[in-house]
Amino acid sequence: MKNRTHWLCMLFLIGFFSVAAQQNTVSGIVTDFEGVPLPGVNILVKGTITGTQSDFDGNYVIEANSGDILVFSYLGQKTVEIAVGASNTLNITMEQDAQALEEVVVIGYGNQEERKIIQNVGIVKEEAIENLQVVSADQLLQGQSAGTQIVNASGVLGSAAVIRIRGVNSINSGSQPLIVIDGVPITDTAGNTLNRGGNTGINPLSYVNPNDIASLTVLKDAGATSIYGSRGANGVILITTKRGRKNSPTTVTLDVNTQYSESTDVPDILTADEFREFKSEVATLQNGTLTTPEDLGLGAIGSGGTDWLGGVQRTGISQNYNLGIRGGSEKTSFFIGLDFQDTEGFIIGNDQQRAGARINIDTDINDWLKAGMNLGITNNRLNRIGIENNINAPFTTAFLQSPVVRAFDDEGNFLQSGSFIPNIFARVALNTDELKTFRVIGNAFTEVTPVKGLTWRSEFGIDKLSLEEFIRNAEFNTPGGFAQQIFINEDRWLTNQTLNYSDTFSEDHSLTLLLGLNYEETLRTRSNVSSTGFLTDDLRNLGSGSTPTVLNADRNPSRLFGLFSRATYDYKGKYLVEGSIRRDGSSRFGANNRFGYFWSAAAGWVLSEESFIRNLDFFDFLSIRASLGTVGNDRLGTFPSLGLFNAGPIADYNGESGVIPNQPENPDLKWEESRTFDIGLKSTFLNGRITFNTSYFNKTTSDLLLNQVLPPQTGFTSISRNIGEMENSGWEFELNTVNIQTKNFSWRTNFNLTTIDNKVLRLNEDAATDEQGRRIIDGPIQRAIEGESLNNFFLIRYVGINSQTGDAEWLDANGNITNDPGSTDRVVTGSPLPDFSGGMTNTIQYKDFDLSFLMNYSYGNDVVIDGLRFADGNDAIGGIVNVRRQNLNFWRQPGDNAFLPSPTSDTFDLFNQRSSQQQLDASYLRLKNVTFGYSLPESALDRIGGFFKSVRLYATATNLFTLKADEMDGIDPEVTDDIDPLFQGESFFTAPQAQSYSFGARLQF
Amino acid sequence: MKTIKTILPFLAIFFAVSCEDRLEVVPEDNVASNTVFGSFATINGAVVGIYSKNQSGDLNGNPQLMSDFMSDNVNFVGSFPSLQEIDQFETLATNVSIDNIWLDGYELIGAANNIIENLPEVSVDDVTGLTEANKAVFVAEAKFLRALTNFQLVNLFAQPFQFENGSNLGIPIVTQPFEGGDISEFQLERSSVNEVHAFIEEDLLDAIATLPADNGNRAESGAAIALLARLHLYREQWAQAADLANQVINSGEYTLAGDYDFYDDNPNSSEHIFVVINTPTDGPQETTGTDEVYTNFYNPAPGGRGDAPFSQELIDAFAAEAGDRRFDELAQPATDAGGNDTFFTTKYPDIVNNASDGMALRITEMYLIRAEANLRNGSSVGDTPLNDINLLRNRAGLSNLTTVDLDAILLERRKELCFEGHRRMDLLRNNQNLRPDGGADSAPGANKVIFPIVEDETTNNPNITQNPGSF
Repeated sequence: MKNRTHWLCMLFLIGFFSVAAQQNTVSGIVTDFEGVPLPGVNILVKGTITGTQSDFDGNYVIEANSGDILVFSYLGQKTVEIAVGASNTLNITMEQDAQALEEVVVIGYGNQEERKIIQNVGIVKEEAIENLQVVSADQLLQGQSAGTQIVNASGVLGSAAVIRIRGVNSINSGSQPLIVIDGVPITDTAGNTLNRGGNTGINPLSYVNPNDIASLTVLKDAGATSIYGSRGANGVILITTKRGRKNSPTTVTLDVNTQYSESTDVPDILTADEFREFKSEVATLQNGTLTTPEDLGLGAIGSGGTDWLGGVQRTGISQNYNLGIRGGSEKTSFFIGLDFQDTEGFIIGNDQQRAGARINIDTDINDWLKAGMNLGITNNRLNRIGIENNINAPFTTAFLQSPVVRAFDDEGNFLQSGSFIPNIFARVALNTDELKTFRVIGNAFTEVTPVKGLTWRSEFGIDKLSLEEFIRNAEFNTPGGFAQQIFINEDRWLTNQTLNYSDTFSEDHSLTLLLGLNYEETLRTRSNVSSTGFLTDDLRNLGSGSTPTVLNADRNPSRLFGLFSRATYDYKGKYLVEGSIRRDGSSRFGANNRFGYFWSAAAGWVLSEESFIRNLDFFDFLSIRASLGTVGNDRLGTFPSLGLFNAGPIADYNGESGVIPNQPENPDLKWEESRTFDIGLKSTFLNGRITFNTSYFNKTTSDLLLNQVLPPQTGFTSISRNIGEMENSGWEFELNTVNIQTKNFSWRTNFNLTTIDNKVLRLNEDAATDEQGRRIIDGPIQRAIEGESLNNFFLIRYVGINSQTGDAEWLDANGNITNDPGSTDRVVTGSPLPDFSGGMTNTIQYKDFDLSFLMNYSYGNDVVIDGLRFADGNDAIGGIVNVRRQNLNFWRQPGDNAFLPSPTSDTFDLFNQRSSQQQLDASYLRLKNVTFGYSLPESALDRIGGFFKSVRLYATATNLFTLKADEMDGIDPEVTDDIDPLFQGESFFTAPQAQSYSFGARLQF
Repeated sequence: MKTIKTILPFLAIFFAVSCEDRLEVVPEDNVASNTVFGSFATINGAVVGIYSKNQSGDLNGNPQLMSDFMSDNVNFVGSFPSLQEIDQFETLATNVSIDNIWLDGYELIGAANNIIENLPEVSVDDVTGLTEANKAVFVAEAKFLRALTNFQLVNLFAQPFQFENGSNLGIPIVTQPFEGGDISEFQLERSSVNEVHAFIEEDLLDAIATLPADNGNRAESGAAIALLARLHLYREQWAQAADLANQVINSGEYTLAGDYDFYDDNPNSSEHIFVVINTPTDGPQETTGTDEVYTNFYNPAPGGRGDAPFSQELIDAFAAEAGDRRFDELAQPATDAGGNDTFFTTKYPDIVNNASDGMALRITEMYLIRAEANLRNGSSVGDTPLNDINLLRNRAGLSNLTTVDLDAILLERRKELCFEGHRRMDLLRNNQNLRPDGGADSAPGANKVIFPIVEDETTNNPNITQNPGSF
């Protein structure tokens, strides 16, 4: 309403002046090329300050003399200049400005027009994610970008996801990508929290509010990543947060939703009476005499027990509130984001409260100086639970605990379980495990433009993480009580100084030059203190215990200094070349290798600019490109090259301080280096209806840091040396189609697929070897073999139960049936790496309704559920643990198609030994996210007072449906218990993903 | 204004100049190896570090537990497959529990070699406070700890002396510290048991000659003599064993404690000759955190896991004579991990902090060695076997025997030293089966009454010979 009043005022004024100056009144309607009226078009009489705007229906009225030139300008449209002639009516049709619509994409230390990019980057734009309701930012990337694989490690709140850009590129130094938030490379948070079983740590992306994110760029090839030098080898994820727009009215977006979550799938295990019957029947057969459950000390049938698995689950109810305020004046723009999440996990004891705030401000001080600041703060409180393979992990313990064990006495008091598998209800209810984190990530910058085309940008950034974890075990669970408190501060400050020069010569030659400097200092400080001997549970804190102990108290500094440069040149936007170089020095590298050089070269050819393609009149856009370059991985630890003696409790004795040899010297130590070749094609055709992109890459990582195992007689277990070599190669495909596009109905599909082949080219010379003499890295479940993939499941092959004899059968190394296999019968049985994986998004819009389906899939990979060694068979841990329901199907007579061998068979207790019996097919197609939304039409908004600019109501379901193999019944295919590359696809009893439903509203005014 | 904005970008260059030399960062929580011998404090610290390594549960705690699992004092009621293998005489080279014994053993030997080889080279003129005398004591302490560890390893990974009169394979003898260079000097072959014993004896004789009679809680000459007495007992050199045990008893440094309170946080008890002192702030655990499993296993839930209760035979042995304080005061009734009612030892009571001390050498063992060696030798050095045994029985609240034979001494030894890791060697060296009614796999000389050489060694040392048996 206000706008309309203004407009009326202006009309009145114009009317007043027109009388005074005796001018003509020119009027008309402004439309776009499709004939749709354009409101808010700026109309100016050239050379004067007389101007107006078109109204909601595109109408305008302006006073002008004949011969005056009217200038019509509008964002995204070509500016129109037209002379006032004899007629007083001027209807204007504006045309789309291709140049203006050209989207600018964030790349390393700069921006680039999307069509001119010859780096291989995956771009997730605001439109793709604005309607996606997610808990953390990694989920925004899930299934959206080829070559980026994200596996949620578990359904436990706060667990880190395994993020891989183009596969595993390192064996020991971490394969997680570098994450850069608004130009600040954030610190790795792994290792900052106590391990709760499952080596997955806390999600580093939980420190940025997904609602604040404007776009994500995934840098994949060396052309894109080499500007990050010694840290780019695992790919880089650039996160750009929302900013205000200049000259735009302030909009407020409020998003409120409620979410209900439960587990996707859990195995079916025995009830107390089924357990008693099973044990008694087995014992009867084995003993040859009737053996009742009472004989076995399990209590009589019907004497009750506990549904442990049911008891550790619940429906988690969560509330999310999110507020975004965005706007800008002529000189200054801003974005303010506020966010509060109160999340309940579906496992008892697992809750999280996160509050976040963000302020992004940009201002033009004058025509050559700009300044701005981005600042994001998050405060997180997480009640942690054990994740996996840990007696404090509700899911692990609930599977293992015997169902006949009672959790409560008749008065409802907790009972001790009587075995080392604790009463998990008591652990969760009485113990405290609280993790509080506070993190500030932000930077301030100035941008000076002394002459046109030259910009000096100066950034100072910080990433400050404060973390406190408090554990308090109650007397009931730990006699004497136990408390532990860990404080960690991880502080980084950095500066980026860049000089950017760009110019166009003689119309056709565009050149951009970048020169930059990057300096970072990181200091991680830790104190970890515990205490025992508490008189009562009411005395909560360390000081009240009788025996405080300092477990760790240390500081780890590291520094990085990089100089870099990039040059980009194109001729008529048709032939493009780009080169970059970076020199990185790091305090982590050995004295003999302190500085490393990383480079890339790329070339591209936009074929659609050539007349012979344009004449085909088929392609809207077609380009090919190739790049070659090197990048490094510097995750080597803090002082990996020095000969060191350790101090502290590990070296002290009887109150005297000591030192003890810890690490032999290795001054030659340096980064791992990857060389990537990448070739790609981008195309758009059928009037933009179909976009198809593909690329092939080959990435060789040399100087792979391997722990060369030392002969034990040296007194050291290993020494880190740059000895290995590994190769990843693969194809990436992206197909985006506009299937239907009418005025009221549209349907778009984005599909992507990635294949990755991993091959270990060289291991250390003194590595262990297999029977064929190939070098290997051996683990109990997996084996990396030189010349083959890093990840192979290496197990004894399980065949099944012989239906005639009732014996379990395996294959020996030669493929012959055996009833007593040994460790020499292990062979490659599968792989945790998929043949291909990817995602698909369908977006359907009908009038004011929208519906989107996000699916992700993975094909050809296996998982090994190690916990099945306990949950299947009869004898694990002396037979006291519960088992899955299929174990009731044991062999009784010839012809039985049984799951378990005959109880009297010699193989009965061998059945659950580690073998391919625990290896399952983990191919899946998962409906990751379904969102259904309804936006109130403008007429309805007007009817409710016109206060709201938009109102959207939505419902989202995650992990609604999963297509997977039958043998995976009860087991989530998307789990892993370790982010370590060598243990991918292994799980003990990792909690499954949550299945959630949320309902919410987004209001904009 | 124009000039300012043109000059500004050149400021960036100053950053480039100033950052370059900031990359030299020194560790704050470690000592670089080239500075360890620079001060008296760090030299003493490097010796203390060897004692600290000796605290590792994998050298004092777990080996005793595993020996118990292999013999007849303890029932195995657990879930760890690696320990089950040991219990059932099926130990493989890949066994993760024995691996750390070998690794920690050679880590300790490496730390000791660093002192033994490098400290004599350090000039007393360069380090304030360092004298030829305290240098020699440091080296002697390192030799004692190296001997203790070599003895532990050879007992576990090689057949005892009785197998082939000591000509059977022992363990590799490492005398140099590793300093980052050539690894081939650390791929040694195994020496014979006799050679290993001779090397241990040499270290101990050096230690006896140099160590003071009283050195606080650190190694003193009595400890070296006591360990040498045990070595001679194991080698059936009765006269030397009796003589050395007698020397320790008569040294005046140690006396039998009046009761059994020396197990629980009492390192200064007169009972102890050498004790591995664990405190709440400095226990047997290392960074990996699994080294204290033995306290978990020897204690029942809650607190412990209850995997290592008394065996029925040991309960019966104590029950044969009522009122034995070693049972009444050192056993507690509880439920084991399998849900059975049984008894657990209280010799490692600090389950909360895992800070129970390790019984390495105590005076009671010297009486038992003197009695056994005198009996086998037909001598009565110091006192008669009967008097020595009755002395221990009286302390336990039992009446005097009138005669003793070897079985009586071994029974007394069993009841006195149970859960302290002696039983397996006592049975093997006396040619007795490790299990009552045990079969061939638990008989002396069987392949798996000893551990296989661990896989880390076999895969990284082409010169090593594996023990016989399938691994």
